[in-house]
Amino acid sequence: MLKQLFPVKHVVGYVASLVLTLIALVVLMDLPAAVEIGILAVTAILQASLQLVMFMHIGESSEKKSLYINIAFAIFMALVTIFGTLFIFVWGWYA
Amino acid sequence: MKIDATQPLEYGTEENRNKIFGFWLFMGAEIALFATLFTVYFVLVDRFASGPSGADLFVIGPVLAETFILLTSSFTIGLAVHSMRLGLKKQMMIFMVITLVLGAAFLGIEIYEFFHYVHEGAAITTSAFTSSLLTLLGTHGAHVTFGLLWGTAILLQVRKYGLDHKTANKSFIFSLYWHFLDVVWIFIFSFVYLKGLM
Amino acid sequence: MKWDEFFVTGDPLIYGAMVSIVLVSLAILVGLTYFKKWGYLWREWLTTVDHKKIGVMYILAALIMLFRGGVDAVMMRAQTSMPDMKFLDGQHYNEIFTTHGVIMILFMAMPFIFGLMNVIIPLQIGARDVAFPRLNAISFWLFFAGAMLFNISFVIGGSPDAGWSAYFPLAGIEFSPHVGNNYYSLALQISGIGTLMTGLNFIVTIMKMRAPGMTLMKMPMFTWSVLITSVIIIFAFPVLTVALLLMMFDRQFGTQFFTMQNGGMDMLWANLFWVWGHPEVYIVVLPAFGIFSEIISTFAKKNLYGYKSMVISMLVISGLSFLVWAHHFYTMGQGAMVNGFFSITTMAIAVPTGVKIFNWLFTLHKGRIEFTTPMLYSLAFIPIFTIGGVTGVMLAMASADYQYHNTMFLVAHFHYVLIPGTVFAVIAGFHYWFPKVFGFRLNERRGKTAFWFIIISFNVTFFPLFFLGLQGMTRRMYTYSEETGFGPLNMLSMVGAIGLTIGFILLVYNIYWSTRYEPRDTTGDPWDGRSLEWSMPSPVPVYNFAVVPEITKRDEFWFAKQEGKSLSDKKIEKIHMPSNSGKPFILGIAFFFLGFFVVFSWWTPAIVAGIAVLLTMAAMSFDRDDGYYIPVEEVVQSEKRLRGERV
Repeated sequence: MLKQLFPVKHVVGYVASLVLTLIALVVLMDLPAAVEIGILAVTAILQASLQLVMFMHIGESSEKKSLYINIAFAIFMALVTIFGTLFIFVWGWYA
Repeated sequence: MKIDATQPLEYGTEENRNKIFGFWLFMGAEIALFATLFTVYFVLVDRFASGPSGADLFVIGPVLAETFILLTSSFTIGLAVHSMRLGLKKQMMIFMVITLVLGAAFLGIEIYEFFHYVHEGAAITTSAFTSSLLTLLGTHGAHVTFGLLWGTAILLQVRKYGLDHKTANKSFIFSLYWHFLDVVWIFIFSFVYLKGLM
Repeated sequence: MKWDEFFVTGDPLIYGAMVSIVLVSLAILVGLTYFKKWGYLWREWLTTVDHKKIGVMYILAALIMLFRGGVDAVMMRAQTSMPDMKFLDGQHYNEIFTTHGVIMILFMAMPFIFGLMNVIIPLQIGARDVAFPRLNAISFWLFFAGAMLFNISFVIGGSPDAGWSAYFPLAGIEFSPHVGNNYYSLALQISGIGTLMTGLNFIVTIMKMRAPGMTLMKMPMFTWSVLITSVIIIFAFPVLTVALLLMMFDRQFGTQFFTMQNGGMDMLWANLFWVWGHPEVYIVVLPAFGIFSEIISTFAKKNLYGYKSMVISMLVISGLSFLVWAHHFYTMGQGAMVNGFFSITTMAIAVPTGVKIFNWLFTLHKGRIEFTTPMLYSLAFIPIFTIGGVTGVMLAMASADYQYHNTMFLVAHFHYVLIPGTVFAVIAGFHYWFPKVFGFRLNERRGKTAFWFIIISFNVTFFPLFFLGLQGMTRRMYTYSEETGFGPLNMLSMVGAIGLTIGFILLVYNIYWSTRYEPRDTTGDPWDGRSLEWSMPSPVPVYNFAVVPEITKRDEFWFAKQEGKSLSDKKIEKIHMPSNSGKPFILGIAFFFLGFFVVFSWWTPAIVAGIAVLLTMAAMSFDRDDGYYIPVEEVVQSEKRLRGERV
């Protein structure tokens, strides 16, 4: 019964998400800023993909191609907005 | 209404499949929404004027608690869907109740945190930084609040009508929403709190 | 709050408007009661989930908004027609150019396009309705609630007056203390949610409800354009949602996003606004491209030239539309690197757009062209839009833009893009698809008279503005002295505006005339069309297709006509239909009151209205209505009747 209610895939996903959270905590130590941002980016993206694939079953639907395109477009738009705005106001500001 | 028995209940009818597809599109829109809030936060993060900065304000303890609670709730809603697919109504409802209780606990800590921030002199009106921080967190919190109401409504329907293609579909879509809130929180945890504490 | 702060007072024009609003409302109420039409209104329109009726309501609302925005426009032209004109004061002028912009873009162009989308898309792809009919009704009523909320602002509380782009700090509480810009943030928010839902609905409809055999590359071009537009909508509108939310917080809760102190950044508003605002331009113009593609191909009697390149160019435009927004504020202070980048992406958009222009020209090449009214609008569109496009490339050059920025040159440019690109398209589409909805065409001779009035007057109105801009007349200035020398060209523009007014009156008169005298169309295919909507009788029955056709190629209906085969000779089965619902309408009302109370910061009523919104949504969630079936006999009977056979 327990095995039926707690499938391995979900348990592994859950444990992995906890581990990734703990790994991200290393940025609280004194490392070079670039390394720390890199660690955060990697752990966050892994966590998000974990949810998407293992819990949200993005691959099981018959339109998975459309769903991947949709998510890809959303991420493209998100990155453009975030980095485009930073480009305008921070990195490319006339000083 | 044609029901396709080869698929899980929640995908059983054409309408159900359309709804799941539509909800994925909606989450694309939600990504754009939170991306905009993150944009605002990243632009304004160093503009704390005479108020406190992130480093002054953030405490890792409650944030970690929130993170673990939300991750666990994301796990339990996954288990609820799993039980649902096995046709175990009672187990499914139990997992869903656990999810909602964890959600409420998360919200409780977040509200406590907000009081703490205001106490530290970081009200929403203090500086551009606090405005953007509290709006980002508040929007996520509002989503969680809405999720609690929505989840309760679905739970009542499952209790009343059992697991049919309608309630299963709603529960599955709710699970997508809840996982999505977890994804957003991961980015808040990483790029608001941890980055602020770096 | 005193009553004279609540109502706008002191201006005879506004008093006149108030009286006419009261009179028209009374006339509607009395008329409905006298003719006993309340039940009809509720059953057939307010509770409908039928995409065709929702489409008609969108178009009706858009026409009313076209009137409102048009009156604003004529008043602006009148005020600037002569030096030192005393027709409007500065404040009133500010309010009018603001509402003109917002209404024309968000409450005229978009609903008009949504109306045509609603009516036509399911018919073009062989579907019985959109994917989520009730959500579609919600979208409409949210749009309508937002539009009404925005429109009452000029009699209650005062209109927004900081321009349609509502730049901070001017739109902030410090410089715009009255409620006008609260209306802006809330009305746009409410209708924006509706728009987002429409986008979602149409992606699912087009992706999942096409007739068997209709692959993506066999879809009509209008359907393609709407699909791509919907994708832009769902990624652009959330940005507006956030921007408006922050605006509301700044104005009503004292946050510091766009303020001038405590770290606030007024320029961030401009940035967010245009992150949404530029894709918005493509949201209104891409469906227009689709409409022109349909009309040009129909009346050239040829299949659309370069179908694949049309699709690819629209996809490229949709991607680029998210990469160009900073060209709206080249002069704001960002460095040469930023302006250089956005200059290049902006100019790059001219390439896919140029591809489309050439495709239309090649479709016309060696065609047997019929000069019908919709075709005339489409043909006029090509050169006029090209002028708009070329001046757009001029504006795209960041260094040169320092000369044109915020001058009448810019005003002329975007009217040269949006009027041929969107207004001509929706008018052309309106004439083209009118017989599908109502069963008779608009009179051709009267339609053409209106066309010539509109097309000539348009150029007379807006071409002078290019020169005024180059001479240094800035936009949004409400008066000027005689020494500036702006007088004569502005007067010319006023003459054009009068001509445009006459053109639109003729257009509306034609609707009236045709309703009374135009012969009814019994074929369902008055233009000898190519796509599936023409395979059905007009007006289209509630269930659309008695049998869903099988598609093997593009323009299936056209080839079926050539081969003399029928698309609907399969066996008729019972048809599943969604039930009507009053809840979307109630939700719209609840949202209207929520918005209204928040505008005035009346929090207790606002919370009550907010609870009403949540309860209506909960009621919808618990609703287990599965719709109903139309039995076979009924379908057979109605098909016979619609095809002119005796029952």
